[in-house]
Amino acid sequence: MQEATYLILTALAAGSQHGYGIIVDVSEISGGRVRLRAGTLYTALDRLRADGLIAVDREEIVENRLRRYYRLTAEGEKRLAAEAARLHANATAAMRRLNPGLAGAWHEPGQGRP
Amino acid sequence: MSEQARLERRYRRLLACYPRAFRRENEEEILAVLLACAQEGQQRPGLAASADLIKGAIQVRLRPAPGQPPSVRIAIRLMFASAAAHLAVLITVVATAGSVRSAAARSYPGLAAAHTVSATLVMYCVLASLGIVVWPLLAWGLLRGRDWARIALAWEVAWIALIIGVGIIQGSAVYAPANLIAGAVDWLIALSACVLLFTGTSGRFYHPEPRTETPWRGTFGTM
Repeated sequence: MQEATYLILTALAAGSQHGYGIIVDVSEISGGRVRLRAGTLYTALDRLRADGLIAVDREEIVENRLRRYYRLTAEGEKRLAAEAARLHANATAAMRRLNPGLAGAWHEPGQGRP
Repeated sequence: MSEQARLERRYRRLLACYPRAFRRENEEEILAVLLACAQEGQQRPGLAASADLIKGAIQVRLRPAPGQPPSVRIAIRLMFASAAAHLAVLITVVATAGSVRSAAARSYPGLAAAHTVSATLVMYCVLASLGIVVWPLLAWGLLRGRDWARIALAWEVAWIALIIGVGIIQGSAVYAPANLIAGAVDWLIALSACVLLFTGTSGRFYHPEPRTETPWRGTFGTM
């Protein structure tokens, strides 16, 4: 899963959002590192809708302009959770090797902290 | 006209790069986001935003159609590679035309030989120029699952083989080896695409009952 896709799904994990809201949220989630542009965002949203990972939640007209809200589908939640677990496992493996003495501080997803 | 109206008009021109069906579904919304992201007093789309929109349009247009087998996807990529190869052939032919003519004149003195070489070079140029236009058009048809594009490709492969064969008979291996190599590479790419399109699961993509237009789900076709 591409980082932009992962961050868009993460932005929608907390609730439905419109396009501009997703851009702002992705910027916050990534600490300002990823600034989505409209072309990238809507190409990704269109693909995610086609794949059934997100769906249109509702539409509003604000100042004569269309505002469409997107939400995660059940399949989207499942894929995001799987990707988050994968990234977490990778990060855990890396940190264990970098800090062998702190092995106990990094744990596998789903396991309780020691 | 207000600054925002000017900016909006320019953004709409950029959004015209996207397929019509995609625009119908998303244009107003994208425009709202673009304008929301614009700076105070901005009248022109920024370079990065413009590049991003064009990149997005290309991605949307190249997106595989539903049910497209991997072999078709690879073949279509090869078609675009072939268009690039045609461009390379054209550049090669034009860049080496002078040296080819003089080499041919040394090897085959006489007016008739010079005319034959010139005619062959013109033929190469026409073929390469056609390829730059025709291959993307065929790729467009192939993306949409059109069987005529597959048949046209097969004819094209045969046509290129004929042209190369004529060139070899006329001694192109001696006086125009670069052109011959470029043409052969182009032919091999086209032949590979052709084999992929006529074998395996590709047939089912091109030979179902007449295809009906599906709702927009990212195909190259709706322009």
